[in-house]
Amino acid sequence: MSLQRIAVLVSDGKNPVSGEARHCRNDSLALQVGLNLVPDLTVLHAGNADNPALQDYLALGASHIDVVPTNGDMVESLAAQLQNVDLILTGTRAENGEDSGLLPYLLAAKLNLPLVAGALEITQSGNHLEILQFLPKGQRRRVRVKLPAVVVVHPLAAVELCHVHARQILGNITAHPATNSAVHHTPWRIDTPRKPIKLKAPLVQTGHERLMAAITSKNKGGTVVNDGNCVEKAQVILNFLREHRLINY
Amino acid sequence: MSRVNPMRPQQTTSSGLKRMVLQANVKPEEAHAPKPIRSPAKPKTRVLVIAHSDRGALDDHARQALAAAAILADAETTVTVLVLGELHENLSSAGADEVMVLPELDFQQFQPDVELASLLAVIKSMQPMRIFMPDNLIGDGDLGRRLIAHSQLTTATQVVEIDTKHVASYQAGCSVLAVCNLPEIVLLAANAVDTDLPFSAKATHVDAVELNHASGEYQDLGLQTSSAAEIALEEADFIVSAGNGVQNLSTLETLALQLDAAIGASRVVVDDGKLPRDKQIGATGKTVSATSYLAIGISGAVQHLQGIKDCRHVIAINRDSSAPIIKRADLSVIGDAEDIMQALIGEIAKAKGANA
Ligand SMILES: Cc1cc2nc3c(=O)[nH]c(=O)nc-3n(C[C@H](O)[C@H](O)[C@H](O)COP(=O)(O)OP(=O)(O)OC[C@H]3O[C@@H](n4cnc5c(N)ncnc54)[C@H](O)[C@@H]3O)c2cc1C
Ligand SMILES: Nc1ncnc2c1ncn2[C@@H]1O[C@H](COP(=O)(O)O)[C@@H](O)[C@H]1O
Repeated sequence: MSLQRIAVLVSDGKNPVSGEARHCRNDSLALQVGLNLVPDLTVLHAGNADNPALQDYLALGASHIDVVPTNGDMVESLAAQLQNVDLILTGTRAENGEDSGLLPYLLAAKLNLPLVAGALEITQSGNHLEILQFLPKGQRRRVRVKLPAVVVVHPLAAVELCHVHARQILGNITAHPATNSAVHHTPWRIDTPRKPIKLKAPLVQTGHERLMAAITSKNKGGTVVNDGNCVEKAQVILNFLREHRLINY
Repeated sequence: MSRVNPMRPQQTTSSGLKRMVLQANVKPEEAHAPKPIRSPAKPKTRVLVIAHSDRGALDDHARQALAAAAILADAETTVTVLVLGELHENLSSAGADEVMVLPELDFQQFQPDVELASLLAVIKSMQPMRIFMPDNLIGDGDLGRRLIAHSQLTTATQVVEIDTKHVASYQAGCSVLAVCNLPEIVLLAANAVDTDLPFSAKATHVDAVELNHASGEYQDLGLQTSSAAEIALEEADFIVSAGNGVQNLSTLETLALQLDAAIGASRVVVDDGKLPRDKQIGATGKTVSATSYLAIGISGAVQHLQGIKDCRHVIAINRDSSAPIIKRADLSVIGDAEDIMQALIGEIAKAKGANA
């Protein structure tokens, strides 16, 4: 099997300061990763076809965008459009809505496809994909996944975005009719803007303990090594590193 | 502000006056009375905490998820922690009543199918009422989302606020704070919970379940670790940092090379032009989150400490035992920076030679 149909899921982003609609950068990276694999992609958005954010994706290389409505279950309506696709590319986290990063996982479970997250580079080899995956602390991992698959592109993926106005004019957007299905969501309520409160264990103290806590300062420092010569002190440091498995010699 | 202890050491002078003894070696506080044990004697329900370990230990973020479970648990709820990867530490002070370890599921190995299947097996046998996981990038965020997609449970991701009734998380491009009732699967963002617990727990060892087999859809082709010099300071795992007390930067560079560590600096060193601006760590420089931070000849001004608040193990080398960095450091070695660096370089070479 070779890569023929690639679908990219794009959401609508917004400017964090002005709130103006624009492309979601991470989704554009996914789009560009897809364009580097095959020249013609299916680009899919669940939402409103009039959304000005979609114009950005046309300029960034999508020749055509299919829009499905969201009055039902979003995963359901997207999955209906994604039968017989070899590869589904998504961003890591949307900027509008729940932003839970769950959509690709729900979709993969619904379509029963394998999923690889944190993709920085994708190359095809036969009916497999080789993916360079992001790990923290400067580590990267190469993994192989069988096609068809869902791949979540990492925000640090090294591809160049290129905005061409002519493509925006030439591209077109198709709105699809609604499919009816049940909504299955956590009922979120928007709260007043405030700082989140950290969870702390309630401390039950006697009067004496509270007095002592107020008049003595808690000594939080660690071990202090004053004695010994340089070599002994160096040994102490090495032992500390070994004990916490920070070095392996 | 901490007040002066009226009971601090004092002498009575020949004229009968009481005089405080300044700078006296204050005895280390008597060992604290052991904390009460929280573990329920007759458990009725159970909550499950799932996290990958890193080098045999749970990191801060994972401990926060464990602390959240322990704080929210009532007197009849057992907190069971499922550690994916090896575990070489005791989790009783972290609040774990029961510990199950699956050492084969190390985060460096990519095997999401095996992990998910094993997790579902554990959940099936334990029937937890709620599941807590750290929403991190070493695999728990990924595994948690796979679990959510394969279950019909209520969920919340990137939780920044939690209590007995509700959780909150940022949505719509971090522009609003949304709340919902405490769900069954909670993926916690970092620093939403204080890990200081007034109790400890039994941390009983529970036998591991049998691992499930891989589905053959995924294959791990191995890790690529780039040398510390190539990666950005923010991503570095080991940082050797130079302060005003370092006379000889070339010694420090040799040391960093030997430890495969990235090089950082305090503002004074950067202002002096000894290292480029992008090496500066602190309030007006970079905020780093290395596992090990070796501060050499750094006094530890608040502006500098701000930049290293997420570092796990801080080691200080300083001439002055009253420098503020000593209070922050987990290990402080008092002495001349140059001498100790030289000794360290020698010892590392010896240790590496003995191993090779
Ligand atoms: C607005 C503002 C922002 C700032 N932002 C930052 C920032 O982002 N990052 C930052 O680092 N600083 C920042 N600073 C500066 C900060 O306040 C300190 O001045 C600075 O961190 C001190 O650097 P230092 O510890 O290297 O030097 P010093 O304060 O000079 O300390 C040198 C230390 O080395 C020890 N020492 C000396 N000789 C030896 C020796 N031979 N062997 C062993 N130890 C020795 C001394 O005991 C001392 O503790 C900021 C300051 C301001 C006002
Ligand atoms: N309305 C949408 N239409 C199409 N794709 C979407 C939509 N919302 C989210 N996605 C995709 O799913 C990814 C993760 O989104 P989320 O789970 O909402 O954080 C995004 O980066 C997009 O690629």
